[in-house]
Amino acid sequence: MASAIARTTYNLFFRRSSSYMVGIFASAFAFEIAFDGAADRLWDSVNKGRQWKDIRSKYIEEQ
Amino acid sequence: MASKIAPSLLTSRTYWARPISAAPTALTASAAKVPKATVPLVHRSVNAHINGAQLSSRTNFTANNTAFSQKRFYAAPVYKASPDTDVTQPPREQDAYKLQHHDDISSRNFAYFMIGTYSFIGAAAAKNIVTDYLVHFAASADVLALAKVEVDMASIPEGKNVILKWRGKPVFIRHRTAEEIAEANSVSLSELRDPETDADRTKKPEWLVMLGVCTHLGCVPIGEAGEYGGWFCPCHGSHYDISGRIRKGPAPLNLEVPAYDFNEADGKIVIG
Repeated sequence: MASAIARTTYNLFFRRSSSYMVGIFASAFAFEIAFDGAADRLWDSVNKGRQWKDIRSKYIEEQ
Repeated sequence: MASKIAPSLLTSRTYWARPISAAPTALTASAAKVPKATVPLVHRSVNAHINGAQLSSRTNFTANNTAFSQKRFYAAPVYKASPDTDVTQPPREQDAYKLQHHDDISSRNFAYFMIGTYSFIGAAAAKNIVTDYLVHFAASADVLALAKVEVDMASIPEGKNVILKWRGKPVFIRHRTAEEIAEANSVSLSELRDPETDADRTKKPEWLVMLGVCTHLGCVPIGEAGEYGGWFCPCHGSHYDISGRIRKGPAPLNLEVPAYDFNEADGKIVIG
């Protein structure tokens, strides 16, 4: 039931300021990881073949 | 409505004002749509009215005027149950829909959710700004790479000097012999210009590490020279002993000892 879900959500996350803040900081942590990861992947795809990690094998032989 | 706007006989002051054709009780959707330009200006008095036979002193210009009234934007319907109470605005159709379908919990959840979303994005952005500033003030990679110098202890035989470049300055490293250590320890502090024991200047007595900059005017002293068997500055003739302490000449202080450490596992001295 939609109303039951809404009520549970409210009681879990919004009812107390402490749980609200915990939720905000946990979301900020997760958001930062996701955002940074996405930005890095975008950067790597745009600069594919131009970065040191892409051309390293041409110059350094692994021992 | 129009009767209220009749010019008064007792007018002392007159104003030009728009008619209060849409007083609160008459506010309807159609009235709200009347464009401003079509409302005529009429000559009207305030302060005094002939209202039937009685003289009243109502000031109508303070009444709600739809020509300037603000549309309601807030979401929660607040109407009174009965229309014959002092309801100022009858519900519009969409408000009636909201009244029936209003869900207190989910609209409150939505508000909290939106506030929380802005908050965590703002928190992440604020954290980023702070870390960016701190990283900006930190040393860059090329500076850090030059900040330390390693030297292999096995490459320096006993009784030999090595000069390294470290952070743009020369560093003297001497692998001292037992006699030199004994000589450095035999000097009494009272005859020193800048009293320091040899143990204060070395971490291991066999290894003397110090900056090769004369404390007088910054020349680089010559090793294994001078009257005290240590270093001699050719610029103005300062003599340093085998512990790098000033013994004779114009220099005021002993040769400076930089921060250094021994890496026993690899047999190296790490300066910096």
